[in-house]
Amino acid sequence: MNSVLSSLGFGIVTASTLLPAAVGFTLQFSATGILNIAFGAQMTFAAFIAYMCTQAGLSIWVAMVLAGLFGAVTSALLNRFLLTPFTRRGTTFFGMVVVTIALALLVEYAVELTWGPLPVSYPMMTSGVVHVGAMSFTRSQLVVLAIGVVFAVATHALLHYTRAGKAIRAVADNRNLARSSGISAQRITDLAWLVSGLMGGAAGVMLGLSLSSVSYTMGDTFLIEIIAAAVLGGVGQVYGAMLGALVIGVLLEESAIVLGGAYAPISAFAVLILVLLIRPTGILAGAAKAKGVA
Amino acid sequence: MDYYLLTMCVYVVVGIVACWGLNLQFGETGVLNFAYILFVAVGAYTASLFSLGPHTSASYQQYFWGTNLPWPLPWLAAGAAGGILGLLVGLLVLRRLRGDYQAMVLLVVSIMGTYLVSADPGLLNGGIGLSDVPAPFKNQLHTSQVGYELFYLGLSVVTALVIFEALRRINGSPLGRVLRAVRENEQAAEAVGLNVPAIKLLVMIIGGAVAAMAGAIEVQFIGAWAPAGWTYPETFGLFAAVLVGGRGNLGGVALGAFLVQGLFLEGTVLLPNFGSPDVIGAVQWMSLAALILLFMWFRPQGVIPERRRKFGDNEAGALHGLLPAQGLARVARGPRA
Repeated sequence: MNSVLSSLGFGIVTASTLLPAAVGFTLQFSATGILNIAFGAQMTFAAFIAYMCTQAGLSIWVAMVLAGLFGAVTSALLNRFLLTPFTRRGTTFFGMVVVTIALALLVEYAVELTWGPLPVSYPMMTSGVVHVGAMSFTRSQLVVLAIGVVFAVATHALLHYTRAGKAIRAVADNRNLARSSGISAQRITDLAWLVSGLMGGAAGVMLGLSLSSVSYTMGDTFLIEIIAAAVLGGVGQVYGAMLGALVIGVLLEESAIVLGGAYAPISAFAVLILVLLIRPTGILAGAAKAKGVA
Repeated sequence: MDYYLLTMCVYVVVGIVACWGLNLQFGETGVLNFAYILFVAVGAYTASLFSLGPHTSASYQQYFWGTNLPWPLPWLAAGAAGGILGLLVGLLVLRRLRGDYQAMVLLVVSIMGTYLVSADPGLLNGGIGLSDVPAPFKNQLHTSQVGYELFYLGLSVVTALVIFEALRRINGSPLGRVLRAVRENEQAAEAVGLNVPAIKLLVMIIGGAVAAMAGAIEVQFIGAWAPAGWTYPETFGLFAAVLVGGRGNLGGVALGAFLVQGLFLEGTVLLPNFGSPDVIGAVQWMSLAALILLFMWFRPQGVIPERRRKFGDNEAGALHGLLPAQGLARVARGPRA
């Protein structure tokens, strides 16, 4: 029982890393209808930018902010100058999947060429252990958890209380209708990619912190968990992605305790498939539709 | 050098067969099977189990079951296993899920397969994989290594030709028209009374069987098969080949498989060494990615695009068979020259 509780703590930490990533991924999908397979590779790239900053003597938290900004800018530029031209040429949905796959390969191996195939790690701060009931966290895990919560609250605030956020929801819901009510769809799409890139970049660093190593295949592996979380919540559903992140994160860690580490991903993905068979469009699809949430 | 070229030829044939199966699903019917490499893997494992012989306590590798059957049987068993997996996976994902969800769930299924085999060493020797898979007729034929490779190449080319003819007939038949109708407009196909899920299930089965045959040809040649060889990016390599060659055209797809699987992924080994193996690997994947992007931009229809099919005159029917055959001949000549 104790181990189940303590792994719940790990699960929540995994979920906090997964949350910004899954929200960013799903935001890109809802804003542009692009399933961005390169998302994981972009996360890795940002994580290595943060590594470079820490090597230059910056603190890891400053490095995380810089990596987030880097992720935001590259993500928006990629969308504007690579993906949008492709969609303008009439590349189909599946064609775009292939384009982002190619992009993922390019980024991933550029990272390998630049920083080498061996994993690196961030300089860790003094590690004290904090106990919360049966759960115990290291300090960096607690910070990761806090950042996850901040991202959840910030996303909610952005989408509900700002004009830009409302515009993002409007464009996601019906692009043409949004444009005819005077919203510049292109600018809002750029904004959505900026935000999602920021989340992806930060999530990359958070992943590096919670794995305590950064390797060039990291994002690629993590992408599957992101997709699982996003799909579980219903693709394009921001709150669904949050819920999905929590479920997948906790499931991964709990099943690692109950079934053994090697079987953890299998059981998490099996749950995903079972849920989809019962609710083919994800947990929150119906509820979100009714409330008109993007 | 002969040895290497022959090895590459067999790899190219394997790639071509695998891409043909994928073309039936993706090129002809529009099913986006992101778990495709799983079918190749199932074929390879099945062929291994049907040729390794029963598992004994003395053997250094573990597998749950095994037997030793003469040559065509392991390959046929692999095809059957691929078909059965296609049926199971198809029943799981095709009925209820929307297109984009299907694609993502298939990707997840593919990764689950990798994890499952790696997690349980008793099943198929875990992450280390099976090795020493016997090659057909190797003990009966007393030839040199190069002679045997030539023989194996012949065996795989003949098998590939049989598969080619079968797929060509499917494409030219009323069934082929049905598949393209589903690809072009699913709603319209449903509206004229076609049972779209059943048709997709059928191509999952046939395509899965073809993929498994490709895996079987590969495993009995290289003699080993492990999870590291069938991770999900491999599926994307096959998709790239189909896109580069021209989806919906068997000859074009074969050319694409030759270019991508042969020249890019295997052939770069022939280049002079310009760095460590890591660097070469990275450059290889990056140039493949750049190639895909260039093709998606400049020639999304592929090198040899799908032919426009016409009704009525018989000449069109004759041409129908000729063009892909030319494509194949060109590919078949390529690596030998």
